[in-house]
Amino acid sequence: MSGVSLRSRLRLRGLRARHLVLAIRVAAAAAIAVFALSTPGFTSPLSINALLNAISFIGCVAVGMTFITLTGNIMSLCLGATVSASALVFLASLSLGVLPAFGVAIAFGIVVTAAQGALVGYIRANPILVSIAGLSLLLGGAAFATGGQRIYPGGEGLQVFKGRFAGIPIEALYFFATVVVGQLVLSFTRIGRDMVMVGSNLRAATAAGVDTAAAITMAYVIAGACSAVSGVLLAARYGSGDMELGSGYDYTAIAAVLVGGTAIQGGAGSVVRTLLGVTAIAIIEVVLLLRGFSQQLQYLVTGLIVLAVIMLHTLGERR
Amino acid sequence: MPILAIEGATKRFGPNEVLRNVTLSLDAQEIRAICGENGAGKSTLVKIITGVHSADGGRIVIDGQPVEVRNPQHAQELGIALVAQELSLAPALSVLDNIWLGNREVPLFHRRRALRERAQAALQKVGLGDLPLETPVSQLSIGRRQLVELARMLTRDARVFILDEPTATLSDVEIERIFAALRTLKAEGKSIIYITHRLGEVFQVCDSVTVLRNGELVGTRRTDEIDRAKLMEMMLGRALGEMYPRWDSNPGAPMLEVSNLGVPPLVQGFHLTAPRGAVVCLAGQVGSGAIEVLRALAGLAHNASGEVRVAGQAMPLRSVASARTAKVQFISEDRAGEGVFLRLRVGANLVATQLADHSRFGVLSRHGLRAAAAKLAAAVGVDRTRLRSQADELSGGNQQKLAFGRSLGRDDAGVLLMNEPTRGVDVGARAEIYRLIRQFCDRGYCLVMASSDIEEVLGMADVIVSMYRGRQIAVYRRGEADMQRVLADITHPAAA
Repeated sequence: MSGVSLRSRLRLRGLRARHLVLAIRVAAAAAIAVFALSTPGFTSPLSINALLNAISFIGCVAVGMTFITLTGNIMSLCLGATVSASALVFLASLSLGVLPAFGVAIAFGIVVTAAQGALVGYIRANPILVSIAGLSLLLGGAAFATGGQRIYPGGEGLQVFKGRFAGIPIEALYFFATVVVGQLVLSFTRIGRDMVMVGSNLRAATAAGVDTAAAITMAYVIAGACSAVSGVLLAARYGSGDMELGSGYDYTAIAAVLVGGTAIQGGAGSVVRTLLGVTAIAIIEVVLLLRGFSQQLQYLVTGLIVLAVIMLHTLGERR
Repeated sequence: MPILAIEGATKRFGPNEVLRNVTLSLDAQEIRAICGENGAGKSTLVKIITGVHSADGGRIVIDGQPVEVRNPQHAQELGIALVAQELSLAPALSVLDNIWLGNREVPLFHRRRALRERAQAALQKVGLGDLPLETPVSQLSIGRRQLVELARMLTRDARVFILDEPTATLSDVEIERIFAALRTLKAEGKSIIYITHRLGEVFQVCDSVTVLRNGELVGTRRTDEIDRAKLMEMMLGRALGEMYPRWDSNPGAPMLEVSNLGVPPLVQGFHLTAPRGAVVCLAGQVGSGAIEVLRALAGLAHNASGEVRVAGQAMPLRSVASARTAKVQFISEDRAGEGVFLRLRVGANLVATQLADHSRFGVLSRHGLRAAAAKLAAAVGVDRTRLRSQADELSGGNQQKLAFGRSLGRDDAGVLLMNEPTRGVDVGARAEIYRLIRQFCDRGYCLVMASSDIEEVLGMADVIVSMYRGRQIAVYRRGEADMQRVLADITHPAAA
């Protein structure tokens, strides 16, 4: 036909859309690297620290989000609120000691998201709507419990969660540990493989005898645990907390997941990809900051990047 | 001058060339059948003509003018109308509203007398003159909905009507009404492309027939020049017999015993005894209940009831897990929807059901999985070098082999349920799948397959169970039935 499309022309030469997408990704990564290294002060210890801090808090949430996206449930709008709420729970239970408080906060995060995961997995409720309901409940519950006040508890031993170890911010170590554990679960465990199969094709997974509801619930459990880690780190850093602490994290986390190249339909992706995604976004933000652009512009740029990635994905998936 | 010509149409999906240099031309007042096996390229050809897919090569000529069909709406503007299997009517709206829905001629307030009269006239032509215009479409049978769809296209001045297997789900009376409507349209000067897998209809209603095979044009003949046997030979590309492996039917002890199986609302009182080492075919059309029986046995029907025993052990229904414990596996006809994980690798697809066997405390043994995948690939004839490819790069036939491989147990044989195992699989790969099925027999599996393809049923079955509207009509042993018998059973059984 006269109007042979660009895509089919590429295919005629043995090139596939998938390869094209990969090439664009590599080019984009190279561009970001050049952009960053040519920015004065980017390699200074100060800005590297800022970078590590920026990726640690969001990064934990993004690792959790990866599991939700992978199982085909797109994203949760509740993870940011889960971060804040677990921070509050952590601070409120500090009187029990730091480690028990850590455990309570993680358990809280897991319970909150596991309930949502069970709704999505067992009765096939719409994941976005469930997460919006969860968000509302958390905000309402927190307002009721704290009376809308910021809480400042006294507590000793918070240095386990802040400061440095061997020159590296401790937050970053927790984040890297989350990435490693997340990727191990995904690659080397049965439940991880089940999650990928569920996300790739729910009906085929059902027919193959996978316990799809359990796999989906487990993905939410992991997301809750990761968000709670982020909440504890934030609480330790600021020594106080309110529900604003993690707000907006869900959006940046899903941006990192998508920029990393995990498929929004589920079934393809990895935690390591999300690490790359979150790093790319953080580098761009730090560079914009160093070059003196305003915070508003950073939001704009993040939005544009996510939009570009989604369009790139659509191109790669289409035949 | 032909009203519509397709010249050298070519289409690829990834590495698969699904249509190769296909040329055909259609005259005014011609009813043209397009025949070919599943996967021959019929649907792809239609999608190119109607602008759903853009071709990778070739062109479309309408009234002597080369055109580029940009999208389905543009196809309609060019006078090409498609009546698809999944109809595009809005069930809650009236017949009148449906006829004018989306039509650009319609002004904001559309209950004009002229519109009513034109709708009425169009309905008259398709034999629905007595149908009140206010009837909601949801109250009409599928056959009548198809006629409404034809009327709708008539009001849009379509000149070429494309019908994609319109009779697949219809009763004989309704089929006759469709034929009558097509003859009227033809007398009006319209042209019709009629896609069907029922060879009888080709000779009943069509002037000519174009045969596709493996995406290539085999040829176009006038229907008064050829007979059924010749047409079948064109479609298959060889004499019939070679397709199916030679096999001495030697059924073993009963393996699967089903009594009084019910799957509301369709199936009730279904009984079956399937022996080890044999193929049992449930022959029936859409709506016969054969598929529902298989899905119930696989644990995929949530409302099934009845008694099922596998190798003497009772198997609870309504649970995939308990079916799998009883070594009952299901291979879906809907590979993309339910069979294959298209975005996963070939190897991961093969071992999807064996993760429990290759993990300790939930941690997978990568080595064990790799070895298992290689072994399964060898067993079903998938090239080992492709284990790391993504599953969607494989052809339909190879994807089907993945589904078979996944069902192979590690040790002893079980029951394999297959729904239309060769749907969308090209002829060569089909013969391979049939050989594979026989290999499963040799291993002692009990195979139960649902099929609407009578040749396949006669070629493969050791036991044939014919079904019609949820009921069993008859049970035949190999050699007891012929095509006429089975065809009569599944279309209009004497006892119905």
